[in-house]
Amino acid sequence: MDLVLQLLFTGIGIGSVYALVALGFVLIFRATNVVNFAQGEFSMVAAFLMVIFAVDLEWPYWLSFLLALAGMALYGVIFNLGVYYPLRHRTYLPVIISTIGASILVANTMLALYGPQPQVLSPVFETPGFNVGPVYLDSQYLLIIVVTMVLVAFQYWFFEHTLLGKKLQATSQDKEMASLLGIPVATMIMITFVYSAVLGGLAGILVAPILFVSIQMGGTIALKAFAATIIGGFGDVAGAIIGGLALGVIETFGAAYISVPYKDGFAFLVLVLFLVFRPQGLFGERVAEKA
Amino acid sequence: MPLIECKDLVVRYGEIEALHGLTIAVEAGEVVTLLGGNGAGKSTTLRSISGLVKPVSGDILFEGQSILGAGPEDIVRRGIAHVPEGRRVFPGLSTRENIMLGASNRKGLTKAQIRAEADGMFDLFPDIRPFADALGWTLSGGQQQMVAVARGLMAKPKLLLLDEPSLGLAPVIVQKVFSIIAEIRKLGTTVLLVEQNARMGLSVADRGYVLETGRLVLSGKPADLWGNEDIRAAYLGGHARVKATLPAV
Ligand SMILES: Nc1ncnc2c1ncn2[C@@H]1O[C@H](COP(=O)(O)OP(=O)(O)OP(=O)(O)O)[C@@H](O)[C@H]1O
Ligand SMILES: [Mg+2]
Repeated sequence: MDLVLQLLFTGIGIGSVYALVALGFVLIFRATNVVNFAQGEFSMVAAFLMVIFAVDLEWPYWLSFLLALAGMALYGVIFNLGVYYPLRHRTYLPVIISTIGASILVANTMLALYGPQPQVLSPVFETPGFNVGPVYLDSQYLLIIVVTMVLVAFQYWFFEHTLLGKKLQATSQDKEMASLLGIPVATMIMITFVYSAVLGGLAGILVAPILFVSIQMGGTIALKAFAATIIGGFGDVAGAIIGGLALGVIETFGAAYISVPYKDGFAFLVLVLFLVFRPQGLFGERVAEKA
Repeated sequence: MPLIECKDLVVRYGEIEALHGLTIAVEAGEVVTLLGGNGAGKSTTLRSISGLVKPVSGDILFEGQSILGAGPEDIVRRGIAHVPEGRRVFPGLSTRENIMLGASNRKGLTKAQIRAEADGMFDLFPDIRPFADALGWTLSGGQQQMVAVARGLMAKPKLLLLDEPSLGLAPVIVQKVFSIIAEIRKLGTTVLLVEQNARMGLSVADRGYVLETGRLVLSGKPADLWGNEDIRAAYLGGHARVKATLPAV
């Protein structure tokens, strides 16, 4: 029982990272109808920004953190203008190819700058963790869980209770109609990219002390987040969060009870099972109804 | 000076020319109906005015100024609201939220003010008041039409473009929608109303234009258009043997 609780904690912690990235995935997908294959690089770029600011330049952690997030907001703007905006009136295919190109470009730029060795980022807190009863709470995992909960609550409030949130929803549901009402569609999509880049960046910064900072981290995180959105039901916001958490828990239990080397394999086994037996995902019916 | 004036509009979709030089005008305070069958170019005319399609030649003047080349977001800010064909209610937003977003073209309003105005719309559209919190996709066609018109009015437009508000609605609901248009007319909003249902269109209009395959074929007062049996039979889908009378405006 103690082990189960311990694994649940770890699983939810890592699942929170997948959930944050998946959320960014879904928001961009809903706003542009395109799967962003450079989503994982949002996390990688942010983690490297942390390495630059906090490790190379030895700036204070909190300052580096704020600068990295600001950098991600800027990255979101550039990404939107360079990768999406010029192709916005085309079909989804050129845009997808453009995101794949961006992913390769960014990963290889980092490879050129830092080489293939993984970089190390220290955890936020000096205290590595503490025991609550039989469960050891690692402080980095705890931080990830708390930040994710706060962000999910913020996002719920933002989309349900602000006019800007409603305009973003309207834009994702019918762009032409939104523009007829005077909603600035291009700005709404820009905001979506910026928010998504910051979310992905935050996930990257939080998970960096656990995973190491490498050019592969973007691809790994993106695949997990993609699997999470399939499990949750593609395009569903709540589904992305629950899918992310579920995936984290499944792979943690799989690693503990079945096989550690195949940890990543469980995620994809679950992905394949969902695609075969329930392609609409856990919340698929709701999505179908909405369409 | 007319409020809106389309001069020699030519619109193409690729190879297809949808409008071959259309000239129409609507004076401030008028309700004008644009009639014609399937594919006549009615929607294309409205889409040109609201900036969704770019005419290849001709000009569109609103309050005497050319709005050709301006985008839809800009045009609605100038005071032209377009309630498009098919209602286009946001499926995942509630009735009230849909209506509130109609004010997106107006600056300097708080969310509370917009919400109060949106709730005020239910006086004009009492049928949808009970569905204020229902999501768009759950509404019936008639309810969606009312949401779409209410949303258009939230823009406080000088000119309201309505594209086939009667399409696919039961006759009772069509009557309701048209009585609302008559109300809007009393409020002094200028309306350009596209209809296939000529009888309904003419019943609320001051003037009518008849379009056929991208060309203007007739224009005139409702009584002259509807009163002429040959015209009715040829262009308005009316059957010459049915003695339909024009409802009093
Ligand atoms: N997006 C488009 N691409 C290609 N052709 C189009 C497009 N939209 C309209 N057309 C063509 O332009 C012509 C005019 O269409 P339009 O939609 O303006 O007609 P309408 O009078 O509104 O008809 P309806 O009463 O059926 O709505 C038609 O021949 C139509 O096929
Ligand atoms: Mg039409």
